[in-house]
Amino acid sequence: MIAFMLRRLLWMVVTLWVVFTVSFFLMRSVPGGPFSSERNLEPEIRKNIEKRYNLDKPLVEQYFTELGNVCRGDLGYSFKLGDYTVNQVIAEGLPISVALGVLALIFATTLGLVAGVTSAVFRGTWGDVVLMLIATMGIALPNFVIAGICIILFVFLIPIFPAAGWGDFDQLLLPAFCLGAPYAAYVARIARTSMLDVLSQDHIRTARAKGVGPVRVVIVHALRGALLPVVSFLGPAVAGILTGSLVVEQIFAIPGLGSHFIHAALQRDYTLAMGLVLLYTVLLYVMNWIVDLSYAVLDPRVELQ
Amino acid sequence: MPTNPRNLIAWILLACMLAMVGWSLLGSDLPRADFTLINPSEVKSVDPALITGQPEGRIAGAIFEGLLRYHPETLEPIAGMAERWEISDDGLVYTLYLRNNAKWSDGTPLTARDFHYSFRRFLDPRTAAEYAYQAWYLKNARQYSSGSSGIEAGDDVEVELNLPVDAPNTRRGEVIRGKLVRVEERGNEERTFVVQIPGDEVAFCPTDDSHAASREPPANCRWCRQVLLDFRQVGIEVVDDLTLRLTLEHPTPYFLGLLAFYPFSPVNQACLEAHGSPQWTKADKIVTNGTYRIAFRRIRDRFRLVRNEHHWDSDNIKLGVIDVLAMESITTGLNMFMTDEVDWITDVPPPALRVLLKEDPPRDDLNPQPYLSGYYYYLNTTRKPFDDVRVRKALSMAVDREEITTRLLPGGEIPSYSLVPPGIPGYEPQKCAPENPDEARRLLAEAGYPEGHGFPRIDILYNTHESHQAIAELVRKQWQRELGISVRTRNEEWGSYLSSLQTKQYNVARRGWIADYNDPNTYINMFVTDGEQNVVGWSNAQYDQLVQAAMTEVDPDKRLRMLEQAERILMEEQPIIPLYSYVAKNMVKPYVRGFYTNSQDDHPLWAIWIDRESEGPNEFMKGRQ
Repeated sequence: MIAFMLRRLLWMVVTLWVVFTVSFFLMRSVPGGPFSSERNLEPEIRKNIEKRYNLDKPLVEQYFTELGNVCRGDLGYSFKLGDYTVNQVIAEGLPISVALGVLALIFATTLGLVAGVTSAVFRGTWGDVVLMLIATMGIALPNFVIAGICIILFVFLIPIFPAAGWGDFDQLLLPAFCLGAPYAAYVARIARTSMLDVLSQDHIRTARAKGVGPVRVVIVHALRGALLPVVSFLGPAVAGILTGSLVVEQIFAIPGLGSHFIHAALQRDYTLAMGLVLLYTVLLYVMNWIVDLSYAVLDPRVELQ
Repeated sequence: MPTNPRNLIAWILLACMLAMVGWSLLGSDLPRADFTLINPSEVKSVDPALITGQPEGRIAGAIFEGLLRYHPETLEPIAGMAERWEISDDGLVYTLYLRNNAKWSDGTPLTARDFHYSFRRFLDPRTAAEYAYQAWYLKNARQYSSGSSGIEAGDDVEVELNLPVDAPNTRRGEVIRGKLVRVEERGNEERTFVVQIPGDEVAFCPTDDSHAASREPPANCRWCRQVLLDFRQVGIEVVDDLTLRLTLEHPTPYFLGLLAFYPFSPVNQACLEAHGSPQWTKADKIVTNGTYRIAFRRIRDRFRLVRNEHHWDSDNIKLGVIDVLAMESITTGLNMFMTDEVDWITDVPPPALRVLLKEDPPRDDLNPQPYLSGYYYYLNTTRKPFDDVRVRKALSMAVDREEITTRLLPGGEIPSYSLVPPGIPGYEPQKCAPENPDEARRLLAEAGYPEGHGFPRIDILYNTHESHQAIAELVRKQWQRELGISVRTRNEEWGSYLSSLQTKQYNVARRGWIADYNDPNTYINMFVTDGEQNVVGWSNAQYDQLVQAAMTEVDPDKRLRMLEQAERILMEEQPIIPLYSYVAKNMVKPYVRGFYTNSQDDHPLWAIWIDRESEGPNEFMKGRQ
């Protein structure tokens, strides 16, 4: 187990290095630098700025300087947000993005599981058809469409939620729902399939034969087995929620990392873009690792020791 | 009770997740501000010397105050930190008298020395202020801010010595003054400056601090940070604590207005040097002198500004707390305005604007009005066939501007035929030839392309945006229809688009320009030969001469006539095709007072107050029936 984890860690370092190298050279090969602006800079002033950010050195030298800094955990100053270092930007934005993501994930799993299990248990009924119809729509609709519909419904027609912003719990609910909705739909479909699969297995029949009540059969005996495919879907889902939050963050004006990411790329904010790419890489690795570990927790066939 | 360890782990995980959500929300809920507005993007910085944009200007204008400030309606420069001023008869020397109750937000007095410090910092090449050229009207300021390329042998110079690597990066090294004897090339783009200091001759090698700390300097040489023109040569002089004397290169009629512009705001030396950059800009450290100070800032969310009790006019500032939200999505902004969560938004999505303007009875919170700005198509005169003035004129005459403004622009934008937009007092914008498809075809035939035969395929470059695309497509159709030429459109995102413009990799390119100051020079000056903004590659000796002559002209009326003549030449030669002037699309709640529509779409926050009892339209709705 420990060897497995160490191997994972080693691969993460290698991946980070590859990601760093590729992003470094890709970013600098795009036309236009971080300081191209509508007003041309006087050559002397431009030289000074470039010196401050090490951009006057040869590319290879820049590469090694920056690699050294990143290894020491110093991601440098943001080029475009002059009052912040990249570390500060991440420190302010990450908790917000994570809070949004976690709530979206809670929505996705609870709504998805309830819908999936219900439609598996009441297979072939009207309820099943309606639930799966909604789930299919949830997968088909991108989250900005869902967000638009939600805003019209719950902000303007039935004014129970604020239109946008950050700071209050009720400002968080609508965006988290919109972010989680497509994943809830996936979870529902996966849960339904795996539940049907488990319900037809021998140990369920045995449980029923022993006279266990229908609710207990579903929740205690069937659900745990049915959860496994759902859990393995959660790895990619977390990745999608974290990196895909920028649209929702923009629509609901949430100061998370999503909008930083897109702006850093568009405005050639080399340091911030690099910091976020590396951060996302680490997050995805860690999430996949947690999912792997959770197999051990959930699957009774895997021993904890 | 979950006794199974597997269940226990699951419960702990869930609890952790919920705790995380709660923790991230902890303390982030703020009571509602007295006034809330939306800034269309996150600001680059709050350091007034380093910023250039309008969103940045809104914050800087609230927390800093220059010697002068703008009247909220007319934008005339009025008293700010300086209470009164005198201008010499030749228009070169400005003497400004500061208020004796001018204070910083920490209560310490603000003196002429603070302006001396701030202007020097603004001009220092190490500050790398993009707007530094706005201060080049001051005598010798340009040489000073050009650093070592601004000095030659015989000049009085100052040498800034290195500081330890761990010194705050805002501190200045010790300064040694002397006379520059000669400059020696050391190769590898490095130079040695030999400076005569009373009784001695010393060679200085500029380098950065870390380099200086770790390495031995070349033989017979001392490390230094930089060698600059002696700042005492620059036209900034502290007469006494409350008197500042500024000397200009040329009489500049709009210089007073510039003094009210945010780059000329003072910054607090003690604060900067204690914390270093960028730490000094943090809400708990920054010391400012404007009507408001920063109480709280969350990046990409908001600035919370509260009234600065130490400001000289604090008793007349009516809004106590202002929230400035940074919000990119204009649709979201509109949603918040409609649900009464904000009081002022600066932009409205075009489809919504169309609907809102048609409402009956007319809305009392929307009043689109033109301001000093223009939307142009630039023609790359260094390329064929645009080197031929007949082709340029033909292209301009074949554009139907009315069709563009009525079909594509919902805000009542006005078709434009001149470089300088209308609205500058005393100046008559010079127009190019109006639409005339027949004449356009004739000119094109004369240039050797009858009915478009033989005309190369051209493309229109624009930065990626829906509305630019719609206009480019329409102009493409108009040119194809009227001239029979084949046109494509090409979009690039902002950074690439700018670099294409600057390297002249385009045929026709869209360009918008908003006036920096209320004077035609802000436009005319762009097209002098080899000007930084002259990306069309156009050059005309007479034009250059007129612009140069206008710069030194003392009589303001004569000066404007010269600029008109210059614009006349430009519009005859047509390296650009003006299309229309922008309109400001502010939406302001009817209870907001002291918000005026003006020619630069600038709305100082100190002038605004809230009055929910008043009847009838507010100042903002003036001029709309």
